[in-house]
Amino acid sequence: MDMRTVAGECLEMWRNPYPHLARLRDEGERPVAFFCSYTPEEILHAAGLTPVRLMGAVRTITHADAHLQAYCCSLARTDLDMALAGELDFLEGAVFAQTCDTMMRLSDIWRRNTSFPFHGDLVLPIRMGEEISLPFLVEEVRRFRKQVEDYLGQRIWDDALEESIHVYNRNRRLADRLYRMRREKPGVLDGLMATACLVAGFWMRREKHNELLHQIMEDAEAGEAGDTERLPLLVSGSVCATPDLYELLAELDAEVVDDDLCCGHRYFDAYVDESISPEEAIARRLWQRVNCPAKHQCLEDRAERLLRQVGDSGARGVVFFLQSFCEPHLFDIPYLRNRLQEELGVPSLVLESELQSFSRGQLRTRLQAFLETIRGV
Amino acid sequence: MSAEEHREERDKEDKERRRIKSGAAMRDLMTKYYMEAKAAEGTDRHIAWITSGGPVEPLIAFGVIPVYPENHGAMCGAAHMNVELCEVAESRGFSRDLCSYARGDIGSAITRGGPIGGLPRPTFLVCCNNICNTVFKWYEELSRFFDVPLFIFDTPFVRGDLPSHHLDYARRQMEEYISFLERITGREYDEARFVEVAAKSLYASGLWAEVLACNQHRPAPMTCFDAFILMAPIVTLRGTQEVVDFYQGLLKEMRERVEQGIGILPSEKYRLLWDNIPVWYEMRNLGRLFMELEACLVADTYTSAWTFQEVETEDPLEAMAAIYTEVYLNINLERMADKIESLARRFEVDGMVMHSNRSCKPYSLGQYDLAKEFTRRTGKPALIIEADHTDSRWYNRAEVEGRIRDFVENLLAESVTA
Repeated sequence: MDMRTVAGECLEMWRNPYPHLARLRDEGERPVAFFCSYTPEEILHAAGLTPVRLMGAVRTITHADAHLQAYCCSLARTDLDMALAGELDFLEGAVFAQTCDTMMRLSDIWRRNTSFPFHGDLVLPIRMGEEISLPFLVEEVRRFRKQVEDYLGQRIWDDALEESIHVYNRNRRLADRLYRMRREKPGVLDGLMATACLVAGFWMRREKHNELLHQIMEDAEAGEAGDTERLPLLVSGSVCATPDLYELLAELDAEVVDDDLCCGHRYFDAYVDESISPEEAIARRLWQRVNCPAKHQCLEDRAERLLRQVGDSGARGVVFFLQSFCEPHLFDIPYLRNRLQEELGVPSLVLESELQSFSRGQLRTRLQAFLETIRGV
Repeated sequence: MSAEEHREERDKEDKERRRIKSGAAMRDLMTKYYMEAKAAEGTDRHIAWITSGGPVEPLIAFGVIPVYPENHGAMCGAAHMNVELCEVAESRGFSRDLCSYARGDIGSAITRGGPIGGLPRPTFLVCCNNICNTVFKWYEELSRFFDVPLFIFDTPFVRGDLPSHHLDYARRQMEEYISFLERITGREYDEARFVEVAAKSLYASGLWAEVLACNQHRPAPMTCFDAFILMAPIVTLRGTQEVVDFYQGLLKEMRERVEQGIGILPSEKYRLLWDNIPVWYEMRNLGRLFMELEACLVADTYTSAWTFQEVETEDPLEAMAAIYTEVYLNINLERMADKIESLARRFEVDGMVMHSNRSCKPYSLGQYDLAKEFTRRTGKPALIIEADHTDSRWYNRAEVEGRIRDFVENLLAESVTA
């Protein structure tokens, strides 16, 4: 299969991963859901489980309203809705890494109202990157491993964990190459396709995704770079549950040259050190990787990093794509926008998404107006 | 004197008899505190803004004036002034979906608006996330705005019992907090002084718990709306002698009321439990409504959050670390349900009113499940009303009042069928 066909399949999966996920079990996989990029997937992977990411779905809420108020983000609401509707019965369980207040409470609500065999919790510090929180995080990773072991009734051996770490590190290297290639070889694989290829990995075993990325990279690297007239942009936010934003930007002749998303660049940032004990190494990676806005900014200011990313990628505008009611992200917006404007003269647009009332038309209009301002039309 | 005048006179006397006298002492205490804090601005006294659930005792021990933006937010809300402050923050790009305490506080920092002309400028900030994770985003913004240091006391969420590595992390941060204060104030840590402050704090919180417990009596000597007001000193200044004195006075008054059978309502037909932060701008109307319905809010999950359990340990810093980590909003739903059930049984309530508060996700998400659990465990009904603690633009008075009326009328129907 050539690169375009593979990328096309990934895009289809991004549009609707659920039919694919429902088949995983028949293929001998044991899928366990996770929601957050702070989940130590390596531990689940080493245990023979397949971590799969839930990023919500465009749907009308029917069941979750009895458990979650309307002022809570649509990721939590639509994921819970699917679980309660029995549409996620292929899952063996779910893992809740605590980032925001919504996820913190969703864990209990989920556990009380569903009957999946496994339920995992990982409590995270908010003071990431500071010496004081590292021993706590190492202990939490250790406790999480034990939680999985207790569920399975057997140990996860260190060598299996080391092997999983190796697989995931390779995946991060490949993802990094995939992202760099967008800049180095413009026109070969655009932002939409590159992101689709990355995101598709959330729904398959990591070895398989490595093969897929490897094949894409081989084809892409053999391809000829072309000129692109498209307007370069950076997308920042949490997750893009659907490819709509990227598709619309492509239609409007804009190109996403980099991102600051937890289903994008923030997901594969930093490697697990393979020369130290696996638990400590996993904790260290979570602790030092680029911060999610739900964590306190300390090692590196989030704004500094975003500004650098914008500068390096040559983006001429930033689209903040946020979930409505997402406090960690919404709090940072005025500060980030000011700094982008004042220091780089880069304009930005804030778009809020609610999957239960998703309107592609509205999104298109706002994007069009924003792009026209940048182009000076 | 005509019969009518006579009745009016009697009503007035009765009202006066039922009025809580300590309210005046509290107002004096809080006015003095705010005046002192405001006067300290620009002097060499240190002023720290701190979150309501944060460990204030080290600040008191180091002679720092603690200032609570949330308490100020409640004041702005009750004075119907918070919306205009929120609008200032919104015009700067802060979303309307963010906590209205935070928005109002940012607006007040910018304009120095509100009933007391804004809070005194902080020399540093102390943020503890045991109540929510909104606070550290809010304090990050304040730290940028005032360009002052921020200390974060990170209390990991507790599911079930408090694990030892949680306690270790919190304990290490207490030490770090002390070092931070030593550095900022240029004073040395005095353990004896800290223990004295901590002891007063625990003692005052014990007195407060006893005050609240007086409402187990029928008729209840106060409603939780009174408690929302009377809690200001325990939140703001626990650890000081004035607070101990105040709660001793309040406890004495409450006990006298109990002995004399003085209820806060002319007649108490129903006893209800309140959940979540008050609807500050609507206290008067809701208070009136519940009184008219002869329903007394005898207990709540909010004010009792400042009744700390004593922890047995030789180490005062560790004791504080444990106390501050295991607060009501930092525990899982099952433990919250236990607490609600225990309040319901102790105070013999007929039902529960839950404020689903747009501005507070850790308090509100899970309420639907808690309501069901409450009914399952106690056999009593629960009502959920929608509001926001200080942003009245989200509030629909007619709808909320209608629902409360229906709820209480149903209680009557139930007691008839029972």
